[in-house]
Amino acid sequence: MDPTRTNAITARSPWALSRSRLRRDRLAMASLCVIVALVLMALLAPLLVRVLGLPGPNVQNPDLLDDFGQPTGPSAEHPLGVDDRGRDIASRVIYGARVSLEVALIATALVVAIGVVVGLVAGYYRGRVDAVLGRLMDLFLAFPVVVLAIGLGVACADGCLGGALRPGMMVVITVIALTTWPYMARLVRGQVLSLREREFVEAARSLGASDRRIIFGEILPNLTAPVIVYATVLVPQNILYEAALSFLGVGVDPSRPSWGAMIADATAIFRDAWWFMAFPGLALLLTVLAFNIVGDGLQDALDPRPAH
Amino acid sequence: MTLNIRLLSLALLSVLAVALGACGGDDGDGAPAADEKRKGGTLTELAAGDVDYLDPGRTYYQFGLQVQYAISRPLYSFVPGKVEEPVPDLAAEMPEISEDKKTVTVRLRRGVRFGPPVSREVVAGDVKYAFERFFSANVGGPYPGHFSALVGAPSEPTRGVKSIRGIETPDDHTIVFRLKEPVGVTFASALVMPVTVPVPADYARKHDARNPSTYNRYVVATGPYMIENDGSGRLTGYQPGRRITLVRNPEWDPRTDHRPAYVDRIVIRTNATDTEIAARQVIRGKGMILDSNPPASVLRELVTRIKDQYVTLPAGGYRFFTLNTEVKPLDDINVRKAISAAFDREAARKARGGRYVGEIATHYLPPGMPGHEEAGGLKGPGVDFLSAENVRGDMELAAEYMRKAGYPSGRYTGNEELLVVGANADPGKAQAEVARAQLEKLGFKVRLRLVPQDALYTRWCLVPARKVAMCAGASWFRDFQDPQSMLEPVFKGSLINRDGPNNNMSMLNDPQVDAAMDLAAAAQGENRARAWAEVDRLIVERAAGIPWLWDTTTLVRSKDVAAEANPYTTLWDLSYTAIRAEE
Repeated sequence: MDPTRTNAITARSPWALSRSRLRRDRLAMASLCVIVALVLMALLAPLLVRVLGLPGPNVQNPDLLDDFGQPTGPSAEHPLGVDDRGRDIASRVIYGARVSLEVALIATALVVAIGVVVGLVAGYYRGRVDAVLGRLMDLFLAFPVVVLAIGLGVACADGCLGGALRPGMMVVITVIALTTWPYMARLVRGQVLSLREREFVEAARSLGASDRRIIFGEILPNLTAPVIVYATVLVPQNILYEAALSFLGVGVDPSRPSWGAMIADATAIFRDAWWFMAFPGLALLLTVLAFNIVGDGLQDALDPRPAH
Repeated sequence: MTLNIRLLSLALLSVLAVALGACGGDDGDGAPAADEKRKGGTLTELAAGDVDYLDPGRTYYQFGLQVQYAISRPLYSFVPGKVEEPVPDLAAEMPEISEDKKTVTVRLRRGVRFGPPVSREVVAGDVKYAFERFFSANVGGPYPGHFSALVGAPSEPTRGVKSIRGIETPDDHTIVFRLKEPVGVTFASALVMPVTVPVPADYARKHDARNPSTYNRYVVATGPYMIENDGSGRLTGYQPGRRITLVRNPEWDPRTDHRPAYVDRIVIRTNATDTEIAARQVIRGKGMILDSNPPASVLRELVTRIKDQYVTLPAGGYRFFTLNTEVKPLDDINVRKAISAAFDREAARKARGGRYVGEIATHYLPPGMPGHEEAGGLKGPGVDFLSAENVRGDMELAAEYMRKAGYPSGRYTGNEELLVVGANADPGKAQAEVARAQLEKLGFKVRLRLVPQDALYTRWCLVPARKVAMCAGASWFRDFQDPQSMLEPVFKGSLINRDGPNNNMSMLNDPQVDAAMDLAAAAQGENRARAWAEVDRLIVERAAGIPWLWDTTTLVRSKDVAAEANPYTTLWDLSYTAIRAEE
């Protein structure tokens, strides 16, 4: 044996280690595949519907309703049946993924942006700044979500903020963001309170780094893991939020298929048309479950502490 | 061999027994014969909500009228099976209308008495008081416009009950209505409304002095039934939101009334909010009726399987999608005709519940209304863009009209966005979505606003300033059996109220149509029906809207109930309902 040849132990970055841990979690990987499929389904909805030979999501066909206006069930032409307007449910479930993901991802991005900034400032500066921002968080946490959604929907029926805020998608995203950012802010604040006492922060301060440099250059990178994990948990929560608001009639425009709105419309005729509720409900369940499992997997993968 | 013959005989006997069993029993098709009805028993009605009011001066909705006409006697009322003309009720005979149509005289029947605690004969002054309190602010009658032609009728709600000099009572059994305009025929038709139910001034005045009037909890009966009350008249049988209990009125004389009043007691449960459960309870139970249309799942069972426990009857109104003639590009009649031609009215009907909710409309006057047959009946006046043959929409015809309007492609290519407003809950929501789809298939851009039902009219459709291109939830149901009341408020140009509330949602302002209405208003009898049929035809030709449904009401009863529908309220007539004798 050549003594100069040794098995080199390659040093791996924390990210590489995390990726490796995640890949070993088969359930998380399977869920990730589901999410990828969902995203592709949303992005390619028009193509998918055409390839499958389905009608558009808003095409009404009254011939598919019986003499009592009740929808017909799954068939060769309409594998998931039709709804009470004669619209193809498979097509609407596919397009519904767009609404769910759009709302959830945009709202989550806003929550992360606002929550991280506020949490960073509150946790770093503490004292009066923390107290004021803390009360601000409490104020927004006290907002009743549904009432706010209804109020904004009515008040901005003809557009607010120069037409930027209109009933539908914008109101839903705004309401979710406004009522959810405090949770992110509190999480970040707690992390920052701990991190600001660490040696690397002390070192940076002693080298004359400004507060801004410390906050965004030293502390923020160490928040990446918990923020990503929490964001992954927020996404399914926001999907459910959107579904709930649509169920209550204060969600997206009725012309855009939404799983929540479909479930709401199906409630009255569930006994005679189970497919109308079952398939969007199943889609919602699978999506939320997939995100939750991936979130758990990420938490395990990114957590550097040894398993108990 | 012997055993086989025995077995065969046994089998044949069994088959015979089953066949006889199947042939026996009640077939119960529609209303059973009169000899099957018996006096006595308790009838139960399941209702999803409460009446609006028990006060005859305030009640306006169907359910309230159903109860009202069991406990009270208006001047005129309807007998089941006879929708064309009312019969004298509190009145002794049909009204006399003067030659100049400015005086209507009604003679009251003798022997009609108020129930306890008033317990005296009804006199003309009680009807006069009923009218006068109707116009007071404390009562706030909901349809003053029908009686605003009375000489001295207040233009605003009065503070306190004020005398109306246009109502005269020369004696205790004669009442004379003097009118400002020659509208005696229409006025007489309106005397079926609950405002004509007598109210004893000596008893009610103290209640009407309060704001709002408390007479609603102290209503005194004149009909075969009364609501249980204590000695002071307070209604102990009325538990708001829960129950109304009717018992026999001891002061009622059946010799003075067309009502048979079979049952002894009627219990109306007003908290049966789940209509599906309530409908199934009625179908499977005994001695029960349902107050409202059953849901689609139950209706399917009734129509396909049960068959003998329901009736359907015209609801006396029409539904239409308005086309605002002042909103571009709907100001072009060819565009309106195109939309009408393309519109799938069957899709709209299915959105509402399918073919059992009513007939597809081809004009406005509904079945049973004078003028309906003269206007073409179910087939309609025969215009090509609203015919009985193209209920699914005719895109070729629509394209033709669009080309006439200046769109060579046959589709709308302009930039205007049409505002369509509908209710935010089904079935109105479904109707609105159908309307949007129909407009979009012709190339129109649509902004669909879904609003709560109670805001649909008051804040949108009846407000001209909103410029609603199409009101997707518009309907008009009769207040009384006269075609003028069905067409004039909705389509007469001179009645447009730009400050709202405005019933002429289409903003139709056509001098020829208005002139035809003025001519028809003066007609009587068969001429009147023909004249209003002509008005109907003119409105259809103007394409001011797309009439699409003449509602029918489906009424459900238990198997042992022999019930008849009242053609005016379009609900079961409580005074004509009996429990069948046990077999």
